[in-house]
Amino acid sequence: MSTLQTAVRRETGTLLQIEDLATHFVTAGGVVRAVDGVSFSLEHGQRLGIVGESGCGKTILSRSIMGLLPRRNVIRKGSVLFEGTELTTMSLKDRQKIWGAEMAMIFQDPMTSLNPVMKIGKQLAEPLRIHLGSTRENAQEIVLKLLQDVGIPEPEKRLEQYAHELSGGMRQRIMIAMALACGPSVLFADEPTTALDVTVQAQILDLIEDQCREREMALVLVTHDLGVVAGHTDQIIVMYAGKIVEIAPTATLFSKMKMPYTEALFQSIPKLDDPSHTRLTTIGGRPPNLVAPPDGCRFSPRCPYATDTCTKVEPELQPAEPGHLFACHHPVGSDRWNEVQVSLGRRSGGH
Amino acid sequence: MTDTTSVSLPHDDRPAPKKFRQRGRFTKWISVAWLIFIVFTAIGASWLPYVKHSCDQFANEDFCSTHLDTNPLLSERPPTWAFFSETTRPVVGDAPERAGFFGTDTNGFDIFSRTMFGARNSLLIGSMSIIFGILIGGTLGLIAGYVGKRVDKVIDTIMNIFLAFPALLLAIFIVGFFDSSTTSEAKSRSIVPIIIALVILSVPPIARLVRANTIVFAQREFVLAARSLGAKNARVIVREILPNVFPAMVTFAITGMAILIVAEGALAYLGLSVSAPTPTWGAMIFGGQAKLETAWWISIMPSIVLFLTVLAINLLGDALSEKFRIKEAIE
Repeated sequence: MSTLQTAVRRETGTLLQIEDLATHFVTAGGVVRAVDGVSFSLEHGQRLGIVGESGCGKTILSRSIMGLLPRRNVIRKGSVLFEGTELTTMSLKDRQKIWGAEMAMIFQDPMTSLNPVMKIGKQLAEPLRIHLGSTRENAQEIVLKLLQDVGIPEPEKRLEQYAHELSGGMRQRIMIAMALACGPSVLFADEPTTALDVTVQAQILDLIEDQCREREMALVLVTHDLGVVAGHTDQIIVMYAGKIVEIAPTATLFSKMKMPYTEALFQSIPKLDDPSHTRLTTIGGRPPNLVAPPDGCRFSPRCPYATDTCTKVEPELQPAEPGHLFACHHPVGSDRWNEVQVSLGRRSGGH
Repeated sequence: MTDTTSVSLPHDDRPAPKKFRQRGRFTKWISVAWLIFIVFTAIGASWLPYVKHSCDQFANEDFCSTHLDTNPLLSERPPTWAFFSETTRPVVGDAPERAGFFGTDTNGFDIFSRTMFGARNSLLIGSMSIIFGILIGGTLGLIAGYVGKRVDKVIDTIMNIFLAFPALLLAIFIVGFFDSSTTSEAKSRSIVPIIIALVILSVPPIARLVRANTIVFAQREFVLAARSLGAKNARVIVREILPNVFPAMVTFAITGMAILIVAEGALAYLGLSVSAPTPTWGAMIFGGQAKLETAWWISIMPSIVLFLTVLAINLLGDALSEKFRIKEAIE
């Protein structure tokens, strides 16, 4: 398939099928269970958001799926099926053929994710030369087109520039262009806007969304910011301490969230209609130590609704309605939840 | 608004902004000028109007001219400009310019001419050693730093073993080793065993430096980005990491070359460099050692040239490292 004519990819169905994926790091301090039994699937062209606090395993999850992590001192379990092909047992050589061509990734900090001593034009041509065997001359044309697609003014001039001559937003656009170069069917965006100005953030997110739609490319958007995923995804996975605690279509999650952790994340978003000088709501405590996660529900030490059951029995993912799963003994709307809401002086069902 | 600014800031009255001046610019350019002169002389010694001696007096034909000086110089004459003491005054009837600008040595060779021809050997040994040192040490360092694991351990251990030996002792051993295998064919020692010895001396520090830098850059996100786009390891090393490690390598190479030129001098001083009468600076200094009290110029004049050259190389190396540091700070 030609890369740049907007991909006529009308396939439907499952693109990625992740089954019980686990990634543990063996360290001097013990085994860190960064990702601990995660299962979900991604459809063609679907936009998926993965949210959670720092250190919840979001980044490790996306890198585990691609298989980018080093093999040394890493325990991997589970399966990743990409268009029916098992990735976890695939050789590095075969994975390298998929990386960039079928799945691509953009990173958090555009300041460090571009090679400081390679000209932009040359860097952008890299994936084309790796996967399509393009020569320097015919890569040039494609590169210019890519730069236009990602909204970079004066593309000819940029080809001869170095990364440090460009602004952060511009660099992230370059990264996106590089990732798009070979027309991958899924794009992993690992906190793509965290290092950018708020004004630039929106532009970059819109750009990613536009490109995904245009190229019928699936998107996995990893972020800690619920505001970012709200407008740009079809489905959201909420992760806590290496596990999925809630999965739902975006609209459902925001209107009918079940997991207290999701609720807490949601309450941490400052609201425009709050009176000024309202204290920001925070989630008390910190994500647990992943070497020795708490027994039972991993969120229980920080959960206002936690009972004895929570600290003893680990909740399984259970359906609230089709397509909406959560892992909690006392979900939002349950009796226990109402009881605590009343005792805290909040109105029950207060959102 | 704009009006007030233009009125309050009349351009013409303000003093010209002070120009940014970089520290040590003058010494840098002097160094460059001296090195250009030495390199020029090293390359063109045969064609420049230096006194030439017959090929019998040079072991290597490249370093002499076929033109035989019919009127050999008197031996152990002081430099033309040094007739300030009784002992150094030229012999009556011996025209001062016949003695040469740097004087003559025990064999009656013109020291200035030999120093200029010696530049060719000394610089050739220094630069070839550092080039091969960079090629071998750089490759080992890149592989060790990027691949890591067992490969790194093996390379690092070997480098540590080499570093544990006293450098000079190791060099003497290596020259001796390669010498014994070649003496039967050639009477004179060529520059090859000396280069080999110096390459072996320079590989471990270069490999360590490159390894350390490689480890730093291998963890940077752009390397992960390149890998996530499907770049193979060789491509990542050559296109992503090498250009980033290069500045440190060049800076080190320049300083290293100065060290190696001195090391060659040290070897020559122990009688282990190129066989006389092929001139290298070290060999010339060694040659005048016995006569230091009566004919100081035989050792001192090449020493001064060696000193100035090494100093110039070092100053240039410093200037370069400063420049690269500034460049890194921008990023």
